[in-house]
Amino acid sequence: MSHISHNQASIRQSFGDTIYELGSIMPDLYVVSMDLRESMRLTRFANKFRSRFIECGVSENNAAGVAAGLAKAGKTVFLASFACFSPGVNWGTIRESICYNNANVKIVGGYAGLMAGVLGATHQMLEDISLVRALPNMEVFSPVDATETAKIVKAIARTKSPAYLRIVAPETPLVFPPHLSFTIGKSNVLKKGRDITIIGHGPILTSAFTINKPSLEIINCSSIKPLDEKTILASIKKTGRCIVIEDHQKNGGLGEAVASAILSSEVKCKFAHLAVDNHFGQSGKDYHQLYSHYHIGQKNLENAIKKIL
Amino acid sequence: MLFRRSPHALEKLSKELRQLMLDTTYIAGSAHIGGALSVLDIIVALYNSPDLNFEKDHFILSAGHLCLAHYAVLSKIHHISEKQLQTFTQLGSIFQGHESTDVPGVEFSSGSLGQGLSFAAGLALGDKDSHVVCVTSDGEHNEGQIWEALMFANKYHLGNIINVVDYNGIQIDGKTEDIMPLGELAAKYLRFGWTVTTVDGHDFTSLLKTIKQAKNSTIYPACIIAKTTFGKGISYMENNSEYHHIKNLSDKLYQLGLEELS
Repeated sequence: MSHISHNQASIRQSFGDTIYELGSIMPDLYVVSMDLRESMRLTRFANKFRSRFIECGVSENNAAGVAAGLAKAGKTVFLASFACFSPGVNWGTIRESICYNNANVKIVGGYAGLMAGVLGATHQMLEDISLVRALPNMEVFSPVDATETAKIVKAIARTKSPAYLRIVAPETPLVFPPHLSFTIGKSNVLKKGRDITIIGHGPILTSAFTINKPSLEIINCSSIKPLDEKTILASIKKTGRCIVIEDHQKNGGLGEAVASAILSSEVKCKFAHLAVDNHFGQSGKDYHQLYSHYHIGQKNLENAIKKIL
Repeated sequence: MLFRRSPHALEKLSKELRQLMLDTTYIAGSAHIGGALSVLDIIVALYNSPDLNFEKDHFILSAGHLCLAHYAVLSKIHHISEKQLQTFTQLGSIFQGHESTDVPGVEFSSGSLGQGLSFAAGLALGDKDSHVVCVTSDGEHNEGQIWEALMFANKYHLGNIINVVDYNGIQIDGKTEDIMPLGELAAKYLRFGWTVTTVDGHDFTSLLKTIKQAKNSTIYPACIIAKTTFGKGISYMENNSEYHHIKNLSDKLYQLGLEELS
């Protein structure tokens, strides 16, 4: 995998399709919704598995508690809303009812990041990774594209622990090779290189694939927690340079997790973190425009690469 | 169900458990004693009810700070020694300062108010062959999540859920009517589609009868508003919000409490 595909696909559609597929083979799979079934592409599941689609209305705290209660009754539960509401609104309930009680609930936060585009600051959730990373028992995932989304949904449906899955709304480039497997706690090197290690989560990472020089090693860090420190550090040891890029606040994001791993190791490197720097977002034409405005766009990555060399 | 004692014998048991809770508070050095003394008889009645079986049915304490009362009851059921219970709040103890599943018989860890009823509702939906009993406090009804859960239980016709409200009129900083008035709580439950019965929360005969009625409400979720006395049984604690959480009970007050309970 050395260059970007021109094909695009929707991560949230992949989520909805995979949940629908799992619904047939997992009779204990439940979906708890907060009045965003179509936005989360869950209408097909809701129509086919009526008794296992639980609609809570716009009540994120109750929904998180109901999900934990269903898990206690032996169900595998996907709790689906926008990231700005879940975990944005119901973090305390996720902390106690789900994580402290170690409930088998998978929290799916949609419309994450600046990719929420026209919806503006309230809906452009840029703090979700920070919120959920901090929680004991919680695993955190952010797929790079629609292909990987299906693999992650299937993987976390088989675990018994709380998990957070961050997904985005627009169609985004496909870069994850269909034959490649996803393993919890493992990062895939999607492109081998010599000069700089580029690490990211979510579709923003795809911007690195269009850059041919210098030689970039691109690591898809979709498993944010547990973090694959071994793969990350081995690459950085080789390149001596690391750039982390993410559609999230700098504070509490993947960049801080990677920086901590580097500083706790013997590895020495130059380091840069491209993320939203202590700002709220705003409405914009599309995410490309917003990425440029908040200095996490293609040009910003190119500049960061020049600077770190 | 686990004690199967007469109401008269339950009163005796209740007194014994109050002494145990006071001893534990004195030895451990702190506890949410006022609310725990208030809710104790409710929990004793639920575990004694011939209509419930917590081997199969579920008990959820939403107001996790009342755990000492639940722990005291569970210590009798699971033959946990007084000495072990008195490790309450010590480092490494299973008896955490708020309700924890580390203790045998606890199904839900709680402490942040308003969360247990949603959990109970999810459990009631997922396990329709059982009854789920949730115990909440009146002050806890300040939390919006309680009202979200009430709507949810009504929507999904959860006839297998019972919410018992420990209604003592006191919360941390004073009287509930001053902090945040609940108004006509029974009427509110009715309007939210629940059945509701108000009962003396220290009268075992009435409590057992009401629990039976609530269990038989198979179409509607059931609420029992149990009117209780905060700090029940120890005069200087009764209706005194200073005893919401106490630290280092003096020897004098401890002895006075023991005398009143004996």
